[in-house]
Amino acid sequence: MRQRGFPLFPLVRHTLLLAWAAVTLFPIYWMVMTSFKQAAEWVTWPPRWFPHEPTLVNYVKVLTPGTSTFELGRQTLKILKPIGDSLIVSGIGSLIAVLLGSALAYSWARFGTGGRSYPYNILSIRMVPPIVIAVPFVVYFVTLRLLDTYTGLILVYLATSLPYVIWMMLAFVEEVPVELERAARVMGASRWKVLRSVVLPLTASGLVVTFLFVFILNWSELLLAMTLTNTEVSTIPIQLNKFQSANEGRDYGPQAAIGTIATLPVVVLGFLIQKHLLRGFSFGLLRK
Amino acid sequence: MTAAGAPGAGGLRRWLERERVFKWLPFVPVQGLFALLLLPNFLLLVYLSLLSWRITRGAWWNAAFTGLDSFQRALEDSRFLWALARTFAFAAVAVPLELLLVFGLAMLCRRSFRGRRIYTSVFLLPMMIVPAVVGYDLSMLLIDQGPFNQLLSLFAGRTVTVRWLSEYTPAQLAVIGADVWQWTALTFLVFTAGLAGLPEEPIRAARVMGASRWQIFWHIELPLLKPVIAIAVILRSMEALKMFDYPMLLTQAGPGNATETVAVYLWRVGWEFARVSDAAAMSLILLVAVAMYILVAIRVLRRERRRLTEEGAV
Repeated sequence: MRQRGFPLFPLVRHTLLLAWAAVTLFPIYWMVMTSFKQAAEWVTWPPRWFPHEPTLVNYVKVLTPGTSTFELGRQTLKILKPIGDSLIVSGIGSLIAVLLGSALAYSWARFGTGGRSYPYNILSIRMVPPIVIAVPFVVYFVTLRLLDTYTGLILVYLATSLPYVIWMMLAFVEEVPVELERAARVMGASRWKVLRSVVLPLTASGLVVTFLFVFILNWSELLLAMTLTNTEVSTIPIQLNKFQSANEGRDYGPQAAIGTIATLPVVVLGFLIQKHLLRGFSFGLLRK
Repeated sequence: MTAAGAPGAGGLRRWLERERVFKWLPFVPVQGLFALLLLPNFLLLVYLSLLSWRITRGAWWNAAFTGLDSFQRALEDSRFLWALARTFAFAAVAVPLELLLVFGLAMLCRRSFRGRRIYTSVFLLPMMIVPAVVGYDLSMLLIDQGPFNQLLSLFAGRTVTVRWLSEYTPAQLAVIGADVWQWTALTFLVFTAGLAGLPEEPIRAARVMGASRWQIFWHIELPLLKPVIAIAVILRSMEALKMFDYPMLLTQAGPGNATETVAVYLWRVGWEFARVSDAAAMSLILLVAVAMYILVAIRVLRRERRRLTEEGAV
């Protein structure tokens, strides 16, 4: 369908869209460029839009083993361990959440288990700002000796991911034709056989998408991670925050390297599930 | 989980096959998790709020009751009330701004044209970036001798040095800007999906009957977009009220307390000042403040979803 009576429209459109694209790309561009700059080029006037002598030294600095090094009064925090910890905590937490949440979504969609309001109740729990539960969580976890442990943070991420998993998987499960399942049942398949041979293949892509989605959420989480860990466990957002306060944010290059490292995998994953990202956020209101 | 009294694997399989067992199986661990993790947590929150306990003062179970003292302290704490008001104010500025911006962008991207897919991919980028990284990244752009001031100088034709991170209003604008930059992406996603899902028939019918573009938009498209707008508003305000990462990394909640959101302040009261009971009381007050909002949000979601399933059945 063509736009009528407005010959300059394509030009105006491209101008406006390009403007917003520039706004979007500018901070990302700057961070990636800074991560390749030598210390002398971090702060200059006028600022340098390209590194004159590109270097990998920032990446080498943050990716060497250990916790931190001091150099010229600057503290450089390392991120090999936080990367590992982030992978462990977000990976395991998201995986268990997807297993439990998808089973629950299926059970609710088919049997109405837990009552009509169940998913809404779960969702309303998720709407409470995390800071509200953070305060007692520390006291509770100290009492249970779960503070600053992998298990503790995994349990918390499991609980906070479940509502998203349930709502996302509801949309996928509702797309599986019930007739197909009934037919399989009539032909003598057990419930578990139906689950394995009918439902699982039809929702497999949904499971992957849901896993990646909650993985990204947990990978990015700062507040609860910061509250419930101390020295034993440390995720990437925590490390970046520590770094920022350790040097008053003046160690630009290595921090930009950490930012780039933390961003890259998520952007790649995000693009893989771009088409489905919305389901996690749409509360089942947008189905296509 | 084993079947009590069921002999052998065949018995277990038969036990698992019962509808009652099958449908409750995922509910047991989930409810167990919530019952063991969140319920005691909430009770503890209420209990702690009735004490005047600090981390440094012995075990919490030995602390004496002081009734509603910590609530009184919280309500007299102007820094807390300001943080609360500021959080709502930030949301009230950021969310409409994002909606307006996205409304324009989504409308421009509505029909297919060359380059549309590239634009949409670029527009979605910010939502995939870790919020803490966004905070840090902008703190780098906004330094006095940073590229942002350079661009401003370029447009203004003279040297402009806005002290984004050390002056009151600019710092608040920076934090709101971080939110808008990152979450316009998500709102854009919601709106493009909503626009793509609009039914063709009523629009075409109206056009045949001679309705103007504006009339179609105002009387047909906008009402049809209501659930989409509802999702966007609920989702965005929900997240905006949690704002923590941007002030932490971008401005350290400063200068002064200019960008201290309620999440940051509660975190400080609980951890930096170790006044756990006060933090608990403030948490409960915050919970009451957002409870109304959550109730309304859930009610709207239920209504829209019911409407959707009814329409789908026709």
